[in-house]
Amino acid sequence: MDSTARRKPRFGTYDKRMLRVRDEHLRRVLQGRDFLRFDGAMGTQLQARGMAAGETPELLCLIDPQGVTAIHRAYVEAGAEAITTNTFGASAPKLGGEDMVPQVFEAAVRCARDAGARYVAADIGPTGSLLQPMGTLSFDDAYELFAQQVVAADAAGADLFIIETMADLAEAKAALLAAKENSDLPIFCTMTFDEDGRTFLGTTPEVAAVTLSSLGANVLGVNCSLGPKDVAPIVERMLPWSRVPVMAQANAGLPRVEDGVTLYDVHPDEYCEAVGGMVRAGVSVVGGCCGTTPEYIRGERDLLQGMEPAPRSVRDDFVVCSSQQLCVLRPGDVGVIGERINPTGKKRMKEALRSGDYDYVMSLAIEQERTGAQILDVNAGLPEIDESATLQRLMADLQGVTSLPLQVDSAVPETIEAAVRSYPGKPLINSTNGKRETLDAVVPIAAHYGCALVGLTIDEQGIPQTPEGRLAIARRIVEATDAAGIPRQDVVIDCLAMAASTDQRAPRAILEGIRLVKQELPGVRTVLGVSNISFGLPFRPLVNATFLSAAFSAGLDMGIINPKQQRMMDVVNSWRVLSGEDESAQRYVAGYATRSDAAGAPATTGASQQVASETGGGQDDASLSPAERARAMVLAGRKGPMPQLMRDILADHDVMFAINDVLIPALDEVGVRFEKGTFFLPQLMASAEAAKAGFDVLKEVNDASGAQVASKGQVAICTVKGDIHDIGKNIVKMLLENYGYDVLDLGRDVDPKVFVDAVVEHHVRLAGLSALMTATVPAMQETIELLHERAPWCKVMVGGAVLNPEYAQMVGADYYAKDAAESAKIAAEILG
Amino acid sequence: MPQIVDLSIDSVDRSEVLRYMGYAGQEYDPSLDQRIDQAIARAIEVSRPRASIDFFDVETREVRDDGTPVLRLRGTSIELAGHSMEEHMADAVAVGVLAVTLGMGDERELHRLGLTDHVGQILLDSASTTLVERAADAAESLIVAEATRRGLYTNFRFSPGYGDLPLSIQPTILSALDATRRLGITLSPTLLMTPTKSVTAVVGMCTRPQASTRRSCKGCPCFDFCTIRPTGRTCHG
Repeated sequence: MDSTARRKPRFGTYDKRMLRVRDEHLRRVLQGRDFLRFDGAMGTQLQARGMAAGETPELLCLIDPQGVTAIHRAYVEAGAEAITTNTFGASAPKLGGEDMVPQVFEAAVRCARDAGARYVAADIGPTGSLLQPMGTLSFDDAYELFAQQVVAADAAGADLFIIETMADLAEAKAALLAAKENSDLPIFCTMTFDEDGRTFLGTTPEVAAVTLSSLGANVLGVNCSLGPKDVAPIVERMLPWSRVPVMAQANAGLPRVEDGVTLYDVHPDEYCEAVGGMVRAGVSVVGGCCGTTPEYIRGERDLLQGMEPAPRSVRDDFVVCSSQQLCVLRPGDVGVIGERINPTGKKRMKEALRSGDYDYVMSLAIEQERTGAQILDVNAGLPEIDESATLQRLMADLQGVTSLPLQVDSAVPETIEAAVRSYPGKPLINSTNGKRETLDAVVPIAAHYGCALVGLTIDEQGIPQTPEGRLAIARRIVEATDAAGIPRQDVVIDCLAMAASTDQRAPRAILEGIRLVKQELPGVRTVLGVSNISFGLPFRPLVNATFLSAAFSAGLDMGIINPKQQRMMDVVNSWRVLSGEDESAQRYVAGYATRSDAAGAPATTGASQQVASETGGGQDDASLSPAERARAMVLAGRKGPMPQLMRDILADHDVMFAINDVLIPALDEVGVRFEKGTFFLPQLMASAEAAKAGFDVLKEVNDASGAQVASKGQVAICTVKGDIHDIGKNIVKMLLENYGYDVLDLGRDVDPKVFVDAVVEHHVRLAGLSALMTATVPAMQETIELLHERAPWCKVMVGGAVLNPEYAQMVGADYYAKDAAESAKIAAEILG
Repeated sequence: MPQIVDLSIDSVDRSEVLRYMGYAGQEYDPSLDQRIDQAIARAIEVSRPRASIDFFDVETREVRDDGTPVLRLRGTSIELAGHSMEEHMADAVAVGVLAVTLGMGDERELHRLGLTDHVGQILLDSASTTLVERAADAAESLIVAEATRRGLYTNFRFSPGYGDLPLSIQPTILSALDATRRLGITLSPTLLMTPTKSVTAVVGMCTRPQASTRRSCKGCPCFDFCTIRPTGRTCHG
């Protein structure tokens, strides 16, 4: 889509938005000083006028403009100031073409104008498709659909945008950015919540308020969802986190059908009473959603007469969030940023990024969350890989396995921008610094995308030795963020830890630097990557822990550490008692009451208990040799005992024996049983999983000894574009890995070009494509054609529910794999 | 105006879950049993089964220029085209339309397991498929109840993509049931519903008992959700 590139502002040219505001009243509304009244339901009114279920209501702006105008006029007469255009679903796919979008918006705005609207609010609803990674619509394509609507609405003469009924924070963000980057009209943005207080995709009111207000919504709030009594507590959760006015448009309760007539159970009086409560709590923009009529709006007009918007107080805590949860640090709280997803100086991580082994990265994320990280740093900076693409893939996958907010860690501004642009939530950027060029490049990105920002106290002259020198750079950074409109609590200064072994004055300079920054730049937070301090010293964890506690004492807010190191978490947890953050020491007592030595080895009771219970079955006969027992465990599909059994085997044998005489024969037997039907699929998979637990141990031992077990070759696999069914692909992956192949797993819903690029880059000789739906077979064919063109050396096998040998041949595949076992045979034939 | 119903389902048929996994009486390790039970419990825990249901009278039966028979319904732009529908709805005077979903909680968990635990993914997928079919049973029972109230008989539920009822009808069905806004069901350009554990279907409401109309309550998939039987009557008269 070329137009996306055209509409997106050029990199680094984000001027502060100068709003085009229709009049003084609207300006006061945006400042929270005046109330604004929206209208009520459109859909309910259209249905009452005989619109058929499933019809495209937006087309009525063209077919029956008088009817639409009449509905608007009734709301104007009832006292609505902002009239919402009948364009909720007016996106190109729903209207049947891009050229319809301007036509519908033009007609819709005219209907609202003709009705006498004081303000015409251009309505933008969800696309109806789910965005990646859970769905198949890309962020950029969603943005493009919204941008078409924004441009059309602005050209048609709308006064503001109302982006509404959003359930997906990523989609709301795409719409908001489309409005912000293609128009200078005010943006109102509301999301819809379920009874459990979350959107369908799990976003909380707090997360919505933090993200949307950081991104630059001019008014945010709740619409649709529920009746006003149930909307009230949701709005109240938003109010403390929104830096802009908050709006509420509830439904008239729940609909019920009586004698073919739809009735809503909340009447206007009751509705307005609940709205009154919300207004007193701080809501200043009101209206209605499903089931409301002009009568409800009239009630709201009467309600607001003689009232003033209630004073509000907004929290100034440090806050970042994923689409699911906030990380909040009140002044004085300390936070843990997990440092492990970073290849710098980490061999295993480098290897994982190079070979596309994202499973390892996911396991690091899960472990860090379990051990106490509140934010995860993500860095994919390796010169030999595409950093930007890798970072985006990692961030997408990480959102599937953890709900922790992410810290985007890169030295390249373009990479940072690409990563934060589509991130659903408010990330932390790591980092900018005192160099003019870096400030000019990164600060505008943080401001435009509403991110928190780490600033390093380093500049063109390097890292100053004195605390005052560090403060001077911090001051320069904060001047830039202040000028860009980034709130102080979103700025996090890193005074940069230096090795004590090379300069023993450094630790005191860093600590004093932290103290000065906190004192001289009120509101600003501090962060520190701690472990550099101990470089060159023995028993580094002890030095790190001592320094971390000193830094907390100096006012440090966040440590970038490895939370798996118990000693570091001990400092964090005990400091929280001493600082009062851990009230009544409840968390400390719960975690440490049974600990005898706080600095001992990490607790492993949980894991060993699990092993014990899994070995508890009758089939693990201790009289057998470890090799025989390992074989039995693979056949039983029990992974628990496998690591220990492998170590036992290695006491008497080498790694090759464990592979060739234990694991592979066991897997062969599993394959035979599956083929004969004496094993069913979960058994096959559980056996593969047990074998994998064994292989993992062998790999560890091998890595440690420096020996190499030759890979049998690489296989690239994916589920094709448009399809998100990945079970079949995952089964194939597991089996191929067991048989000693390196599997390059490109994931699901994979663009043909992305797949073929990877095949070419790694010179892969066998590709496996999976498709489950008839509708995605063409995407499979497209991928194969591109493979033949650009990677003619690569053989292709295909599989999936809709395929058969004839179909496979038709799409141009070399092999048809009826199941995973078959794919292993094909791999053996081609790769040996 | 569609009816939105929360479906409370606290159990699924374990043998059905095994059937989706391709089980045919094989002997297997007890540890797998435990994991299957955990997967079923997890599916129930993370799912929020919900339905949207509406009823439309049959308006006309026509034949398109290309020879395709089509059933038009009053008050909706849903058109039931093809020979499958012609046959299935031969005696129908009204049609119940349903959409059910387990919600994004289940979908997210499936996605998480796809990234972390492939055995767990297979087990949860089978448990979830069983659960969403169960949810469809529960939704269907509400259509049966409405039919009985109107003195009509239902046939079995029929989903787009089966027979020659085209999948291309999905956008209209979801729109008519307001299923994106009310249930959170989205549709990809390839007509894939997400959450993937979602079902849409149509049920004929007919003037006389159908070949597929249940003759007895024994073995009826709607049994656990039946609102007719407690009143002392049955849907089959």
